Amino acid sequence: MSKHVINVTVNGEAHAVEVPAKRLLADFLRDDLLLTGTKRGCETGTCGACSVLIDGEVVKSCLNLAVQADGRSVTTVEGLGQGTNLHPLQTSFMEQGGLQCGYCTPGFLMAAHDLLSRNPSPSEEEIREGLSGNLCRCTGYQGIVDSVKNAAEKMHGR
Amino acid sequence: MNSPIVGKAVPQVTALEKIQGRAIYTGDLKQPGMLHAKVLRGPYPHARIVRIDTSQAVALPGVKAVVTGADTPTRLWGVAHKQQRILATGKVRFAGEEVAAVAAISEDIARDALDLIEIEYEELPALLDPARALEAEAPQVHDGHDNRVKEIRIARGDVEAGFAAADLVHEATYELHSQYPGYMEPMATLASVDGNGRLTVWTSTQSVFLARARLAEALDRPVSSIRVIQAMVGGGFGGKIVEERSSLIAAFLATRVNRPVRLVNNRLEDFQSGCFSVPCRLWLKMGMTKDGTITAKDVRILANSGAYAGLAPEVMLVTAMRSDNMHRLENVRSAADLVYTNTMPRGAFRGFGGTQMAFALNSHLSVMADKLGLDPFEVHRRNAIRAGETSVHGWQFGSTGLRECLDQVQAGIGWEAKRRRPKDTGVRQRGLGMAAAMHVSGNRTLGNWDGSTVVLRVNEDGRAFIASGESDMGQGANTMMAQICADELGIPLSHVTVLPPDTDTSPFALGSLASRVTINGGKAVLQAAQQAKTQILDAASGLLGCPADDLEIDQGVVRSRTKSNATAALPQVCRYHVFRHGGEGILVRATYDPPTKMMDADHYGNIAPGYSFAAQAVEVEVDTETGQVTLLNSCLADDCGKAINPMAVHGQTNGAAVQAIGWALYEHLQFEDGRLANGNFADYTMPTADSVPHLQASIVESNEPNGPLGAKGASETAILPGAPAIANAIEDAIGVRITELPITPEKILAGLRAKREGGHA
Repeated sequence: MSKHVINVTVNGEAHAVEVPAKRLLADFLRDDLLLTGTKRGCETGTCGACSVLIDGEVVKSCLNLAVQADGRSVTTVEGLGQGTNLHPLQTSFMEQGGLQCGYCTPGFLMAAHDLLSRNPSPSEEEIREGLSGNLCRCTGYQGIVDSVKNAAEKMHGR
Repeated sequence: MNSPIVGKAVPQVTALEKIQGRAIYTGDLKQPGMLHAKVLRGPYPHARIVRIDTSQAVALPGVKAVVTGADTPTRLWGVAHKQQRILATGKVRFAGEEVAAVAAISEDIARDALDLIEIEYEELPALLDPARALEAEAPQVHDGHDNRVKEIRIARGDVEAGFAAADLVHEATYELHSQYPGYMEPMATLASVDGNGRLTVWTSTQSVFLARARLAEALDRPVSSIRVIQAMVGGGFGGKIVEERSSLIAAFLATRVNRPVRLVNNRLEDFQSGCFSVPCRLWLKMGMTKDGTITAKDVRILANSGAYAGLAPEVMLVTAMRSDNMHRLENVRSAADLVYTNTMPRGAFRGFGGTQMAFALNSHLSVMADKLGLDPFEVHRRNAIRAGETSVHGWQFGSTGLRECLDQVQAGIGWEAKRRRPKDTGVRQRGLGMAAAMHVSGNRTLGNWDGSTVVLRVNEDGRAFIASGESDMGQGANTMMAQICADELGIPLSHVTVLPPDTDTSPFALGSLASRVTINGGKAVLQAAQQAKTQILDAASGLLGCPADDLEIDQGVVRSRTKSNATAALPQVCRYHVFRHGGEGILVRATYDPPTKMMDADHYGNIAPGYSFAAQAVEVEVDTETGQVTLLNSCLADDCGKAINPMAVHGQTNGAAVQAIGWALYEHLQFEDGRLANGNFADYTMPTADSVPHLQASIVESNEPNGPLGAKGASETAILPGAPAIANAIEDAIGVRITELPITPEKILAGLRAKREGGHA
């Protein structure tokens, strides 16, 4: 198994690490960097629990190899906001019933972040469309849609 | 009571760690020296295991253990039927049954080792069709035992007289399929044996104590030699209660290698080892008078248990009789048979058998209402049971919000106005449908007790810790308990910590099943908090020189109701209590065992302290060219007694609604020669955000006398009415009655074709 040294920035921190060529980005984040907020739910790119941002765009980290992140910047849920410095999406998900079991939540937060960066004031239909790459089994999506709408309003002062 | 917290839509107490990605689920846990486990499954639905050769797998560098059925304890485990070992021995009874397992230093090596295990099978004739199970020449799933798992016969009143008194008698057969729970966190377990030989198991479970009992039985070791700790659980829906198998394999491997072993299912493995709902064929005949009064109900059920019994007998009992209790019925009869087949084991799933009958009953009532020119809402209202009444099976109702649920969804969907509009005639045709259902809140039949115990401690800083064995699997149980406690003690919600269930330190509990945690666990919290409050006020009485009954706690301060200067902050009072009681802090225990009855041999008796109701109305649009069904609107009302947390109740209601939409329209387990062919989320299609409409959820507060502050269960009832409401709306739209789930475009188009060709509609 060939190995490669990659230079990747994760949540603002630069890493130069050697990884096996077949190492999935999801496993690299979870097992090598111990960023377990990124979840594994299907391994086939359908559930979206492993969604992260690469250079600001959402990707499914189970469908990407770690080497594909070489020279790029990765943001995981841990990089979205921590402690008293939470992203409006995070507070909205708490306040509007955007989560229950929480397993899909990191992925939804990253997908929603990507959506709002492209479309700061999405309609309910656009939110549903924009989040259709992620699965949730607890909320029926209504709380998640409400949370994203609420976060958009907070972020744009409406 | 002043209630600043109960009744408020506060965030879950687990929300902060979850939105930061810092909630720790079992698959996130790591320990020094930890090994990774993988499981080899049999490829045939029915085969004799002739020979197993593990030598090559054992020789693979990095492999620390390879185990097969022969290595496992001979003691059999199971719910009521003891019939399984940790790994299959002798033969496999369903495709996917676990036959061998590997522990290795990495998941990759463990997976590679599976490929090196050689197993020779002799295929046996497989019983795949439950309808053939009781034929004399059918293959036997369990040697020396016929394929009947359970037979239920219930008859009350005079069913034939009821039919004779009816103006309309209708009968139909329904096919209700199996649903995968689809929790987002695949099953995961970390097991470790310490230097003293004690086994500790961190696992994703709805019940640590039932998990411990199962581990003790399957591993054939004393209960007290095992500790089970619940990590954060990523959803359960019934699949993580007592039928779950992979935790047993992880724990068994840990006992063989004396190193921690983690077994995390990938999604395919979770489909293969998961617990699915019980599919059945259900024949229903009902009689009704012109005014909509139900005069008789007769039902025959053939249900498929899969290869093992598990909880399926109890599930089928629910299908056979639960829905009878929501109406004032007198003449009912059920004949239900549960059979083994060479398919995956089926059992507990949200609704616990209720969804199957709810579909048939509500489909039936809609058809009969149409034929009699009645509104189905009126039919439900006319027959609805009332608070204070006892049902045909002996269930006693302290609260019923059925009629209020019906009122809310009828208004919410705009039923009257939309029913009056002219029928659509174009390619896309809209229709309205409704359904109603009931569920238990708690269930004494689990062991002739249903109680819940809480240990509550108030520390010297005035903050509370709740130890309960009841489980939060994401539904918000911990938040519910914390809210009740905080209000009763007069402290902020953030000053209450609910400890994770741990069999070494939590009081015994059944866990999260049968919608029992709010009504029983919540009541135990309330009682414990009342006791703690008494101790606090007694201590404050000594401190302040005021009688205890003159004192109250408000926002963390004990104050006199009559003397304005007599106040003491809770930390001061709690420290005083420690000093005055020889170092004993405030520590109380309360048990609530509801005043219910074990049902008798004839299934008669008031089994639950409360019963929840729900009604739903939906509007669909059917594309008559493609057969596609689109849900346009959904209104779902849940009678939860009292919403301790309205946001959590809405979350349960909406989640249940979408799970029901999935069961009705999208989710469809496909088998080829008994093998699951679509064990992944691309091919087993659960609803996505863009496949469901904006959902309207509403709450009915019927104030249950047995419940804490009037509350009862709010987690399962809401899944019951969705599928029949959709089927009823489809018939309203296009005149096609679908009786077999799921409702696929192919079935819609076939129904439209049959209608055009002058067949039945």
